[in-house]
Amino acid sequence: MSRVIATPPNMNLRDLVILIADPSSYISMLIHGMLRGFGANKILEVRNSNGVLQTLTGQKIDIMICDMHLPPHGGLSLTRAIRSKTDNEHRTMPILIMSSDAREATIKRARDAGANMVIAKPISPASLYDRLSWIAFNPRKFVDTATYFGPDRRFKIEGYPGGVGRRKSDKELDVGAESGPALAQDDIDSLFSAVRTGQD
Amino acid sequence: MADPKVAGGKVAAAKVGATQDDSADARIFPVDTRFQQMARRAGGIPRDRAIERAEAALEEARPGYDEWLERELEGLWELIKSAETGKAGPGWIDTAAFRCREIRDTAAPLGYELLAFIAGSLCELLDSFEADSECNMESIACHIDALMLARQGSYRHMKPEQVPELTKGLQRVVKHVTI
Repeated sequence: MSRVIATPPNMNLRDLVILIADPSSYISMLIHGMLRGFGANKILEVRNSNGVLQTLTGQKIDIMICDMHLPPHGGLSLTRAIRSKTDNEHRTMPILIMSSDAREATIKRARDAGANMVIAKPISPASLYDRLSWIAFNPRKFVDTATYFGPDRRFKIEGYPGGVGRRKSDKELDVGAESGPALAQDDIDSLFSAVRTGQD
Repeated sequence: MADPKVAGGKVAAAKVGATQDDSADARIFPVDTRFQQMARRAGGIPRDRAIERAEAALEEARPGYDEWLERELEGLWELIKSAETGKAGPGWIDTAAFRCREIRDTAAPLGYELLAFIAGSLCELLDSFEADSECNMESIACHIDALMLARQGSYRHMKPEQVPELTKGLQRVVKHVTI
């Protein structure tokens, strides 16, 4: 079930500095074009984690769209590094991870690394717009503990997300084995939706 | 922690996704980033219009993409041919997987669904070889042949469901090799 607000307000990306971190220059170019279509006018691109860290040192970035397989160590490793550095102005920066691997365990790893959201590749303009809009208009509290810093990961399980079956051997509240099927974008969104106090 | 409740016949419960380490000393605080503040300003482009503009930007990229795609497919084909004759370098699977992911991830947004499907199937195969499954060159070769077919004019804009023998055949190959 989609968690995107039914009629979201218009999202204004003008003058926001958006960083695209993807090893493929062509994919970056396509995302760059989509963002320009959405009204963004300050878009940077880097091809690896070193590029990200250099950019973050040099200027304020408002949101990062990062590939799961960003070399050399992957987008999740980078996300954890950004979230764990205590004296860093980008510690609460929204991070949107792009991944072609949409298995539930992978999505949960991204969530547990501190990503705000995962978007399934290949990316369409509508799915990118909706994920950015979700981040913009559904602010989540951050959690700071000894082992985790990032958006509140708590979520409500209302049965399994659509398309993912439950086996008799699954433990209660367990969401299944790593080798499960790829999730649809709506199911990914469900895993990232925070529980809202008072809403059942 | 919220109370358990029944939903759709299945027992549901609010689950704190945190581990047992995230407990009494957790600090929870609201965050309103510059991204969120600025995105909420008046003057944003309506969703439908924003998506139309993004799609128009993709259309503008299409002519250049066709040339790029041809080069990438040729490059992939040559790489696989080198690997078949033992002349490719040791990291050839990594290079092939990267090229294949690029094709898959760019073809779909630009409407080349059959190409994206075949590239996706080849990515799955190459990922399993990278994970130390036995490398089956015939299965790769048949995917390359399918890509070469799908790049041709009459096939280029087809959807996977329009050529079920091809797509189901590739799925069987992947299933057989990755078991």
